[in-house]
Amino acid sequence: MISRRSTFKAAAGIAAAATIGVQSARAEDKVIKIGFSMSFTGADAENALRVSQGGVFAFEEANANKAVKGYQFLVEKLDDATATAGQYDPAQAATNARKMVSDKAIMAALGPQMSGAGKAMSPILSAGGLATITPSSTNPDITDPKFAAQYRPAGKPIYFRTVATDAYQGPNMANYMADTLKIKSVYILDDSGAYGVGLADAFQGQVEKKGVKVLGRDRLDPKAADYATILTKIKSLAPDALYYGGVGQAGVKLAKQAYDIIPTMIKAGGDGMQSADLLKGAGFPAVEGWYATVASPHVIEDPKTKDFSDKYFARFKMRPDDYTVTCYVGAQVIIEAVRAVTATGKAPTREAVRDAIQTVSLPNSLLGPISFDGNGDLKDKIISVFQIKKDATKSLEDPDAQFKYVGVAPMA
Amino acid sequence: MTTGDLFLQQLINGLSLGSMYALLALGFTLVYGIMELINFSHFNVFMVGAMIAMLTLQWGFGLYGQDVVLTGLPLILSLGTAMLLSMVLCGGIGVSIERFLLRPLRQVKGPAAMITTIGVSYVLFNVILLTIGSDSKNFPNPLAPIAFHIGGAVLRLKEILIWVISLVLMGGLTYFVQYTKIGRAMRATAQDPEAARMMGVEVDRVVMMSFFLGSALAGACGMVFGLYYNLAKVDIGFAAGLRAFTAAVLGGIGNVPGAMLGGVLIGLIESLSGQVIGTAWSDVVIFGLLVLVLVFRPAGLLGRIAPNKS
Repeated sequence: MISRRSTFKAAAGIAAAATIGVQSARAEDKVIKIGFSMSFTGADAENALRVSQGGVFAFEEANANKAVKGYQFLVEKLDDATATAGQYDPAQAATNARKMVSDKAIMAALGPQMSGAGKAMSPILSAGGLATITPSSTNPDITDPKFAAQYRPAGKPIYFRTVATDAYQGPNMANYMADTLKIKSVYILDDSGAYGVGLADAFQGQVEKKGVKVLGRDRLDPKAADYATILTKIKSLAPDALYYGGVGQAGVKLAKQAYDIIPTMIKAGGDGMQSADLLKGAGFPAVEGWYATVASPHVIEDPKTKDFSDKYFARFKMRPDDYTVTCYVGAQVIIEAVRAVTATGKAPTREAVRDAIQTVSLPNSLLGPISFDGNGDLKDKIISVFQIKKDATKSLEDPDAQFKYVGVAPMA
Repeated sequence: MTTGDLFLQQLINGLSLGSMYALLALGFTLVYGIMELINFSHFNVFMVGAMIAMLTLQWGFGLYGQDVVLTGLPLILSLGTAMLLSMVLCGGIGVSIERFLLRPLRQVKGPAAMITTIGVSYVLFNVILLTIGSDSKNFPNPLAPIAFHIGGAVLRLKEILIWVISLVLMGGLTYFVQYTKIGRAMRATAQDPEAARMMGVEVDRVVMMSFFLGSALAGACGMVFGLYYNLAKVDIGFAAGLRAFTAAVLGGIGNVPGAMLGGVLIGLIESLSGQVIGTAWSDVVIFGLLVLVLVFRPAGLLGRIAPNKS
């Protein structure tokens, strides 16, 4: 449903995007082009800049260190946003995919940022045999073998990710709540939408396996105003926690009324609750203490990324965010794959690079161990857990300021 | 919580819900009783009422969110002003809908008037959508978080306030309809508009009055809704309005005490069925029960009151 954490930053620095690129290749080296299809203009422009620079940074390092002997990387940027859409446009993303496929010098790609763009691009990339690594799109369908005919008609996976998928938010959070929050019983609600029901089902399956008692499961009508009845029922059952699968429409009302009726109970949801709408609509003190998850690692506060963060700041004069790192690691995967191919003495081809990406293993990346399963998903799927803790010094409606990172929700 | 406490708590929840449905149901019933018209714009007049009350508290009194608690005169003044303003402005909207959109259609047979009210409903919805937006608004709540514990059940100050406001408004309406001259004219028109006209009742004024009263009650209900849920949103009209309409039909449409009874019943059914069966089923229970009542008592519990067709 939701492809990644929303950010609410002004689209600044669009002009700067065009001028930053990888230094031109030296004459004696052969050039390998890497396509970047991201939303360089429109609402997500600032994000795209921050994210793409992570990839640029990795290729610059590789060129400077001569990581791949005899080859230089050249970044080719393609904007998937249009003025009409004001943000990414799936049709433009498909056009970009066609452009990349028809440029014989492009051996691999980074992007897109959004799942909607990914869905439009993947069939074309599959037909062209061109692998891409997405730093942020988390919709499970694109890599789900169930939809292989749609998203990878040519067979082999071409859509790799350095983030997890939404399908893991429920089960991983079940583990976190059972192991870290030590809950013994839980009540589960969903908002009757496809995303919410799926999330709640996945959570329920895993939490039952962990031996947590599910005291009940009910469904909220997102259009109804009154959840006092169900919350009173939950109060009387007195579970340790409430898990809600759904988005903000019912979530806002749930958070408000839960604060009145079950103020001290542990309350948690998925990335549908990780939104500005919740902070704006329900507000403090009602939202205080709610847990939410995001299907990507949160590494930027991790001490091991400090060195990267400082170097990146020195180069680009701005701070990286989580998706800068996921893009940086995505680029490292491509560099490693090209190195592996050229090390055998062969000239790199798309086919060879794709196969090499499939088998790449980076045991000590900034994101932890990186390797891919047979669908292009990470083997170690990291779900980050956030909790709302009021920070009165910052905007009370800014999710980045009010959702505090509390740890990783582990896989089963 | 013991079973008794739980039942009591759900009773409190149900009564609060029910008093809001009752306030809203009165608007349907007043208009239907006089004109035999189902006024679908009522759904969103209620929503506009919640928005007016919210903006009054925000702009007029600088109250945002849940942090500021007022007591004494400032509390009465802020809530009173918001209530009055939302009642008067909603009443004005109701009167305008009647005067400019429905009166020209009064002699037109068929569903033209009813369809007009659906159109007005969409206009109101979209005006709010464009000006205030589609996201959930944090309705200011200046009430102190006072709660009384009765065993394991909790009765909050805002629930008491909602009951009191609803009782006062319903009492006032009953007095108005039963004992004032215009109230008598309304009852006469409801019985037989032709005869009433011949006896010197100004039917236009009576119709206008029924729209004013119904819409003002919707405005008050919007304010009460906002205060109770700390929420105002552009889509709140439909779910609440549909249940209120059901309440009016359940009690006997056109029948003022019937609407009050129907509202409270629907509220109680909603909360008790949510407890016993599950909230996913509450619509099924409410509307299933409505069907049953209408099969055995087609005129509703207290009997339908509508103009005689001559």
